[in-house]
Parts: sequence; structure tokens; C-alpha cells
Amino acid sequence: VNPVSATYWGISGYAIFWVLFAIAIGLFVQRAYFLFRLMRLGNPENRFDRIGQRIKTMLVEVVPQWCSLKTVTQKDLAGIGHALLFWGFSLFLISYIIFIGLAGGLGLSPVIEGTPFETVYSSILDIAALWVIIVLIWAAIRRYVVRAERLQISAEAAIILIVVFCLMVLHICIEGFGFAGSGVSKDWPPVGAAFAHFLSGTGISKSALIGVYRGAWWLHYALILGFMVYIPRSKHLHVLASLVNAFFKPLGPKVVLEPIPLEGAETFGASRIQDFTWKDLLDLYACAVCGRCHVNCPAQLSGKTLSPREVIHNLKEHLLEAGPELLASKLNGKAEASLESTGETPAEIQAGTQPKAQPKTMIGDVVTEEEIWACTTCGACQEVCPVNIEHIRKIIDMRRNLVLSQSKMPESAQLMLRNMQQRGHPWAGIQSMRLRGDWTSDQELKVLAEGDNADTLFWVGCTGALVERNVKATLSMTRVLKAAGVDFGVLGEAETCCGDPARRAGYEFQFQIMAEQNIEIFKSHDIKEIITSCPHCYNTLKHEYPTFGGDFRVVHYTELIADLIRQGKLKLTNELNSKLTYHDPCYLGRYNSVYQEPRRILQAIPKTKLEEMERSRDKGFCCGGGGGLMWIEEQPGTTKINQMRLEDVLKTGAETVVTACPYCLQMFEDSIEHKGLKDSMKARDLVELVEAAMQQP
Amino acid sequence: MPEHPEYFHGSRAPYGHEALIRRGVTSMHTIVCVKQVLDPEIPPAKFKIDPGTKQVIPPPGVPPVISVFDERAVEAACRLKDKHKGKITVISMGSAKAADVIKHALSMGADDGFVLQDEAFEGLDSFGTAYVLGKAIQKIGGYDLVLCGRQAADWGAGQVGSILAEILGIPVVTLACAIEAVDKTLKVKRMVKDGYEVLEAPMPCLVTVSSEIGLPRLPAGMALMLARKKQIPVWKAQDIGAESSQLDKANAHTEVTGLSVPTRKTECEIIAGNTPGEAAANLASKLIKLI
Repeated sequence: VNPVSATYWGISGYAIFWVLFAIAIGLFVQRAYFLFRLMRLGNPENRFDRIGQRIKTMLVEVVPQWCSLKTVTQKDLAGIGHALLFWGFSLFLISYIIFIGLAGGLGLSPVIEGTPFETVYSSILDIAALWVIIVLIWAAIRRYVVRAERLQISAEAAIILIVVFCLMVLHICIEGFGFAGSGVSKDWPPVGAAFAHFLSGTGISKSALIGVYRGAWWLHYALILGFMVYIPRSKHLHVLASLVNAFFKPLGPKVVLEPIPLEGAETFGASRIQDFTWKDLLDLYACAVCGRCHVNCPAQLSGKTLSPREVIHNLKEHLLEAGPELLASKLNGKAEASLESTGETPAEIQAGTQPKAQPKTMIGDVVTEEEIWACTTCGACQEVCPVNIEHIRKIIDMRRNLVLSQSKMPESAQLMLRNMQQRGHPWAGIQSMRLRGDWTSDQELKVLAEGDNADTLFWVGCTGALVERNVKATLSMTRVLKAAGVDFGVLGEAETCCGDPARRAGYEFQFQIMAEQNIEIFKSHDIKEIITSCPHCYNTLKHEYPTFGGDFRVVHYTELIADLIRQGKLKLTNELNSKLTYHDPCYLGRYNSVYQEPRRILQAIPKTKLEEMERSRDKGFCCGGGGGLMWIEEQPGTTKINQMRLEDVLKTGAETVVTACPYCLQMFEDSIEHKGLKDSMKARDLVELVEAAMQQP
Repeated sequence: MPEHPEYFHGSRAPYGHEALIRRGVTSMHTIVCVKQVLDPEIPPAKFKIDPGTKQVIPPPGVPPVISVFDERAVEAACRLKDKHKGKITVISMGSAKAADVIKHALSMGADDGFVLQDEAFEGLDSFGTAYVLGKAIQKIGGYDLVLCGRQAADWGAGQVGSILAEILGIPVVTLACAIEAVDKTLKVKRMVKDGYEVLEAPMPCLVTVSSEIGLPRLPAGMALMLARKKQIPVWKAQDIGAESSQLDKANAHTEVTGLSVPTRKTECEIIAGNTPGEAAANLASKLIKLI
């Protein structure tokens, strides 16, 4: 029996149904349109390429719930709960359209009722309702009893748990009272049928049962509409926004930094919320404040104030708070422009208006400078984020503003950036007793002079050329390449920084200058392939130079050596009887998904025992040196990130920590020395182990 | 001289000030003299000289930089410009490469720059250098303030500023750590051995800037990109009307008789102690003896 076909207080059920529906849709659209307009306050950005691939990526990520299942660890099973809830609720969402919209609102119930489809579908729904209820109880216990670290107590979460719980209970009530009231006796759907049997046995009159049925039906309907109105007004906006965000996610490299356009820019980077792109603002909508980033961020875990969760959440709050006024001033923009043309100067206009209460400044009030400078750009937040939020480029955009427009940065950062600008590398003064080309002296190397050409270039990187400890690894590298018969050239003293530390620290123009200069140098030597030993250079040359016209084949040495071993060009025969662990450099692992090659190389060395750390591969923990922080003083009063990582190493019982990045190597050398473990623990670059293990020529 | 000195009221310009600037009212014009030197960050072991020609042999692959004190003079000029608007002109006497330090100053916020390069300028002493700079400054003309670094980071003579002021016939204040313009007067805080003193000088005048003025800004904004592509004009002796008699080495007031790398002896002693406190006490008593 369709409750909508009845009349209530003389009013047609259909009228009530559609009026309620219209109100709810109206409220939903009003809010959605407001959010859309807010999002459009952001700067333009093209994310509309490769539509087909985007749709596919979105479906593959969302429908099988890979987005939340990828985050499941032994300690955090919540992703499974989310997947179950998603699938269960999706089934219900479809049922609302069919059984409430079509059957109820359009009066098609005679067509749908009693069909095998209805029996099968509602049976599935019954089971789904049970699992959804179980997951809801589990979620409530996690949030309010166990109190998982990454979650915050919020009314929004409680409301949604209760609403969905009520929807499930009402669903079963509607079935039970409906069947019992109309005297239908059947076995499927199982839960509803069993409940109906029970109700029939209680002897309640049929009219009372029908009355309850109708009441439950309308309540259920009202709750669904209320849910629809509530979603875009709460953090549960993520159920819609995350879907869209999955569509617009970066299809190439995970961290996309856009160059600053050289023409027409008035301010650089982001100092106001509307300085971000619309995609950045969409990110804010997608956030469900799940806090996975919060518990994986090395800055947060080492006691810094930065929490990616708080940055995103606070930016969203700020957008919603400052948005209406921004929209209004955008509308008034034309009026203001015409005022200006009357000859009055902005200063005179300013003088005429009363100063209002100071609005919040984004950098400072919403996100502090301390937070902005604590990010190592390790990418752990983005890797674990189920809704594809791009945290890092927002932080770098704010750094850009601080450095380029406000000239505000930690003194250590300024020193490093000055070195980049004046000396072409971040190391200077007493930090380096070497000159750029020193490492090539007494070496038989093809140092490319002007006019020399080479197909393959070994790009050493600043740290590998200037820091004593890293020069050892660089020399190992040249010997390994020679032993494997690789024909390569080096730039020697003509090499400068790739620009990575400048770019991550927000010094975008210097980066652009360096990128252009380096590309010119590569082209002048007719270089086709570049081997890098630093994952930061690797990432920059591979993913960021193409934007500036530099398309070269870029390989990291771990990829090259793994390949040489596979081809039999490099034979590792010497035993290396040592227990070791491998630390994934962020820019090699998370940024470029090179996880296998370094491990394959280690396995090719006879008698090595590789012990993995608990946090490894995509969940690897940063050494603390990325994002320019190699040269920026770590905030006082906090734990040093490299110390935390050394603890991870020590837990494995390994005697050697192997890595494939000069920053990581430096960071480990520092932390080992700091802990006084120089005799029992060694930090090695993977290429040094390769050299020790290979057949000596 | 500023055409509208009434608009200078210490740190804050009155409303409408920007409007006047936009209508082409110029205010302070500062000329900064900068020198290009060998990077002082070069590791000491890499520093080599040719005793025969009494010249430094620059190590390969190390770009020369702006002298640190001169960079602070540019910073001081930029701070005055931030406050009072106006114009900064930078000049540098040296090789063709000196265009790089001019560009550096431009990227910090200077407006204009010239390189003074001529064979006749090579190897000049402080008097000769001041003469050339003075000729260039007279050619530029219309200045309120001339800034120099307190000394060059390479030779460290610290003479050019004062001689230059003498040549230009304007007052000079050396070792400035803060500069403020009030009306037609410059208020300068200058370093002395046991503190500082505050002097006032009528403009135009010359000030040499000390490092205490603070860290120079990072050349960062669009100026960095624009400065890169800029062509820096080069002035020769005849362009500035420098007389060859004044540039004659025979008339030099000083002569380099020898040049050597100082030998440095380092002795290392580990100060021991049972506790960190004891070690510190031992270190302190050792240091007291040395003083």
C-alpha cells in the first residue's frame, strides 16, 4: 500500500510528498550553488583534459572503495568500515529513487510491488541494513569510546551516525509494520518478514499497524530529505565533493606545482583564500576531517604545530566565513571600477570609509607561518588522503607569497635562498669546504667543456658535489657506472642546483631561472638521457623541467642499476654479510613510486639480510630534509624528525641503514652521530653497497 | 632635492601621497656605489694569489658576488625608497662582469644602473676609484644621497666613501647602522666603539653603511626576472669626462708592495671535565687566561 496515495487532513499525500521534496531540493540547490560560487572565487586551472581517463579513475577509485581501503593498516581498520558503509548506503540511495521516488511519489507502487526484482532488491537491502547498523555501532565506539587519535569529537559526526542509524531502523520498521498491517505473509526480505511475523503475533490491530507504518514511512521520507539538506551544510559535504575531487585529481605526478605566470601577476602565491585555484578550494570541500594526514605527518608527529588536517579544515572554515563578503565585493567590482575612473584615488576612497573590524588574514590567523615552514613536503598526507586533497601545493603557494611578496621567512631559509641566488647552490660557507668541481679532480671522467656533446649525463647534484660524505657516494657512482660500461659525461664545475630547494621554499622565480639555465646547458651538450643520484633532482628534472621546455629521459640510478643487474652488465658477487634496512626517500618512493628497484638491487647482493621498517614504501617516514628543510632550522622545542626515523631503524635490529638520497644520508649521519651510535650503526648510500659487492675490475 | 619635501613626515606618508607619486612627483634620489668581489664564502684553502703580479687568482666555477657591505648599502637605499618612494641608481666600477652586481641591486629594488669599465680604471687605488665614481655621480646628477659600503669585502680599505664625499663636496657620515630622512635632513645612527651616536646631515650627503643595518632583502619579486634580461649601460673614461692625468698610476697615492695568504695555525685542545658543568668551568678558566 502506498502511503502517498492516502489523504491526510484532507490534503493529498502526493501534494505533501512533492511540496516537501521541492523545499528540500530548493534548500539543497541553494547551498550547492553558493558553494559552487565560492569555489569559483579561486583562480582558473585547467583540469578538464583527458575526460575519459578521469571518469575511469574516479569510478575505479570510488566504486570499489579503493580510496578508503588503501588506507587500511593493522592498526587502523576504519577504511573497511567506510567501504561497507559506502556500499550499503549506495544500495539504499538507489532504493530511495525506486521505492520512494517512483513507487511512492509517482504512484508506481502497483507496478513495482510484488515483482521478483522488489523481493530480491529488498532482501539485499535488509542484509545491507544489518551491516550498516553494525558498522555504525563500530564507528560510534571508535569515535566515542576508543577515541582514535586522528578523530575529533564533533556534533556533525554524531548527527550523521544517528540519522543513518534511524534510516536503517525505520527501513526495517516500514517493512515489518507494512507487511503485518496489510496481512501479507512472506519469507523475503528476511529481516522485514521476520519482524512482520513477530508483529502479527502480538495481536495489535491491523489499522494500528498500518498507522505506525504510515507514520514510519513519512518520518523516513522526511529524514532522507533532511539528510539531503544537511549534507552540503556539514563536513559530510565530502560525500559529494570527494567524488568530484576524484575526477579532477592529478593524473600525472602527484604534486603539481604550477609556475607563476610572468605577466599580469600582482601578488605572488597565496595570501588570500581566493589566490588558490578552484581545485584547491574544491579540496577543502572534499575533506571529511578524517585525520589520516594528521597521524602520518612527520611535522605533527615530531611535535610541530603543523597538522595537515587543521590546515585544510581551517582553510575551509575561512572560505565559508570570508566567502559571502568576497562574493559581494566581486559583484560590486564593476561599481568600484567606475568610481575609480572619476579620478579619485584609492587613498581618498579609503580615507572616506570607516575602517571595519580587521578581517582575518589567511597567513597568520588561519594558517600560521610556523605551520607553513614546518612542512617537509614528504607527501605522506597526500598519499594517505582518501579524497585526493593536494595539501603540499597549498603550503608552497603560501610560502611563495611569504618569500616573493612579503619577504618573510626564517633566517636560515633566507640564507639558503641567498646562496641559491648568488652561488647557484644551497650549501655555502663553512658548510662546504669544497668547490663545485673539486670532486672531479684526479678522476678519469668526461667533464663536458663548451662544445662537447654527450648522450648520457650523470647529474651529480649539489650535495653529492659539495658535501664530503656525499662525495664518497658520488665517486662510488662513477666507478659503478664505468664498471658497467656506461658511457657518460659530467658537468663538473659548470653544474648548478636543479632548483628544487628554491621551489619548495617558495622562491619560485629563482627556480624558474635555474630551470631555464640548466635546460639550456643540457641542450648545448646535446644531452638525451640524464642519470641522477639525488631523488630531488630526479623529480625536478623529470616532472618539472618539461613545463619549461626540457624533455629529457631522466632516470634515477636505482632504476639504472637494477636494469644493469638484470641485463647481466653488473655482477654483484662479493658477499655483504650484514643486516640492513632500506629507507625509502620520499621523492623516490611516494613521489615517483620507485619502491621495487632499490630492493631488487639489495636482493642481488649475496647474503644481505633486508629487514623492512614498520613504516616503509608508500608509508615510509620522512628523514626531515625535504622541502628545503635540509637548510631551514627545525623549530626549537620539538623532536628532530631524523631522530624519530633513526628509532624506526633501530627497531629492526639492522646494523646499516641504506638509502638512495643525499639528504636522507646526511640526515641519518647526523642522527647517528647525535645518538652516539657511530660505532654500531652505519648509514650508507645504496650505490656504495653496490660498489662494494661488484666484481672489481 | 625633493620637490615636495613637505610629504616626508618620518615613517608615515599622509593620504594622497601615493597619488602625488603617480602624478610624477619625484622624491628622494639615492645613488649607491657597489663593488663586485671574489665570493668571501670560498673555502680558505681555495684562496690563491699570484705573488708576481700581486693579484688574486680566482678559483674556477665560483661566480663573484656583490661586496657584502655594499649589498647592505643597497638595502638601506631600498628601505628609504620603501618609505619615501623615489629612485635608486646603482654604479659599479669594474669588469664587464660587474653588470651582475648591478642586476643584483636592480632585483633588490634599484631602478637604474651603470657599469664603469675602462682599461684605465684597472688597478686604481682608493683615490683613483673615488675620482671615477665622483665623475659618474656628477654625470648622473640630481641626487639627495650617496651610499657606499663601509669598506670593500676584498681589500677592506674603507677609504673610498670619505674621499668621494670630499670630491663631491658634500658631508659624509661613516659606519651607519640606521638611516632616516626627515625633511631635507638625514638622521644617521652610526656605530662607534662602545655604542652608537646619532648625527644629522643636510642633504645631499654621503653615508657609508655598516652591516649592523641588518640583513639585505632576498631579491625575490618580479624584479628578479626583469633584472635578468636588462642591458646595463657601460660608461668609459670619456663618457664620464675622467681626465687621464687623474687615472695615471704614477699619480697613485698608495702602492701594493706585497700580497700573501696569511698562514693560519690551528691547534685543537679538548677541554675535559667529569660533568658538562665542570667542562664548561674548565673552558671558562682557559679562556680567561687567553684574554
